[in-house]
Amino acid sequence: MIEKPHHVPERLGLLPATAADLFLTEDLLRCVQGHAGVNLAKVVESLPEEDARWAVEPIRDLVDDAMYQFKDNRTDADGWLAPRLHATLRLTRREAADKRIWTHLALAVAPDYVAWRHVLKQGDDSRISSARFKGVLDRQCFSRLWWVAEMFRDGPDYSPVVTACANQEFLHSVLRMGLVDHRPTAQALVRVLERGVADTTREVNGLVAAINVAGATLVYDALAEDGPRDPTALRRWIAEAESAPPVPRHDLPEGPDEEPVPGESVEALAAYFTELFETAPVRGREPED
Amino acid sequence: MKFYPYKRLNRPITLRVTSAFLRLPDDTRDHLDTSAWSVPQRTVALGVAQHEDWVSARIGLSATLPPGATAPDAPWEKLRVLAVLTDGDTNVRNTVDLRQDAPGSKEWAGEIEVFRDDHVGRAALAVHAVAEIDGVPGRSIAETAADWSVDVTAVEPLGGLRLDVKQASFSKSAREWLRAYTDAPWAVDASGRLPLVMVNTDVEGFSDLLGGDGGGIENKIHELLVSQMATDVWTAVFHSALGDLEVESDGTPVFPDDWRGEVLREMLPDVVPGFQVEEALRRVHRRRTGDAGWVELQTRVHHAAVRRAGARKAVANILRALQQINREDSA
Repeated sequence: MIEKPHHVPERLGLLPATAADLFLTEDLLRCVQGHAGVNLAKVVESLPEEDARWAVEPIRDLVDDAMYQFKDNRTDADGWLAPRLHATLRLTRREAADKRIWTHLALAVAPDYVAWRHVLKQGDDSRISSARFKGVLDRQCFSRLWWVAEMFRDGPDYSPVVTACANQEFLHSVLRMGLVDHRPTAQALVRVLERGVADTTREVNGLVAAINVAGATLVYDALAEDGPRDPTALRRWIAEAESAPPVPRHDLPEGPDEEPVPGESVEALAAYFTELFETAPVRGREPED
Repeated sequence: MKFYPYKRLNRPITLRVTSAFLRLPDDTRDHLDTSAWSVPQRTVALGVAQHEDWVSARIGLSATLPPGATAPDAPWEKLRVLAVLTDGDTNVRNTVDLRQDAPGSKEWAGEIEVFRDDHVGRAALAVHAVAEIDGVPGRSIAETAADWSVDVTAVEPLGGLRLDVKQASFSKSAREWLRAYTDAPWAVDASGRLPLVMVNTDVEGFSDLLGGDGGGIENKIHELLVSQMATDVWTAVFHSALGDLEVESDGTPVFPDDWRGEVLREMLPDVVPGFQVEEALRRVHRRRTGDAGWVELQTRVHHAAVRRAGARKAVANILRALQQINREDSA
């Protein structure tokens, strides 16, 4: 098993993928032994000193709590950690698109968490995909969670994020297709899941595929309007990071005070998706007459 | 070729940028002049005014619908024209309604807002005409043929591949990975947000040659070296783009959203001639991951890189310059 690093940096930094390669040792990816990360600090670009957001301790505490609380079911940790990581590490999308910060978090701060959450066991062999340390944003261990929280939160409300995380198959396919870039679509999908319209993995895949196909001739933006974006609420929330207490462990934290998606847009799309699903051919389901 | 189960307009919408201004942190505005956008490149460069920090930009748009859109006997109603700004790096999607200049007019206009915090590099801008057909609302009936690109950092509206070029002493640089390459005059890193060329200042006189405009043969050598580096870059970015592909559950590779996608779309027609880019990507991906054919493809990859790097022109220019020198010497 991979242990918590002996030396955890105090502040987050930027670790470029090329430099990270030296520390993605075969032993680490086979879950035998962590990298001897003493030299890692030398290749990290530091972030501005005065910014409280780059403190590592609150994030390290969160991953420790997640590993303790979900030791019997590591997949469930996603729905718990995603909103709490998002509310702790308050980033703009521009900042969160920088893979280097996530690579640093995964390799220098919490390689033990990456291993715990993403190790694949086959017989006696253990293996972690290197993409979980430094990969694309929707595969990397931490950026994946942060972005799920960003795409599925409804203004300050993180509860849709929890629903989205409960279905891994769903998460994987919608993030990749870019469907949920449209906020009302994201919220409508969550509502459809909550109502149990599509339950099994196969049904969920069928639903997502049907929505994607219909999207080729329909412009969802025209079917369900979203309000205009207002960047001031987010900027204020980020500025408040300085004085923010640790995120609650039991209750959900609160996100930036942005306008939620208009309710009628969510309802209209949810009704449309439900109808689409009921008429779509799904493998293994008898057509209803 | 997409199939639509209803009637659409055959021709695309044309889109023009008519104005752009930046909103600065002190709430003042800076209007950008027309050099901030380029119609042939379909690019808006929001970095032209060189502001380190701006909050948002507002871009004025004007769209012309193809003939027939507003014909009285058109099979649709409730026509709307939407401008949609998307960014694959940050999953942003912003939509605004454009306004019709006059009832029955094909001209529509409006503004779209671009927030600095929402983007790292380039966002794509498209226009869709949407209407209700046979009782189905939200049908897409026409769109722009190609996206405009809105670049939040570029100082010039240029399309194509963007590179970062930096100089450093490889033996002393804080970038430790460079120390492994101290014997090389340059190194290419294709793993970041933009492809990066590091020029090794340990090679004496090298950065002077690259930075200077001394004229004569030095210019030609400069051009040859740049073309050589560009060949290396194109080759490296092609492999990097192909190495990181995401694959659908049925095995179909997906075009990446960022510059990697642009590189593939640009180079694939030369690597696998005669096929649409989607099919070309499938073929190349199969060769790379399969048992056979990857090695044979390398000559074509190299050819695609050499073409883009302008190597032929650079070599011809230096040969001519050498001939001239020889003539002058013997005269």
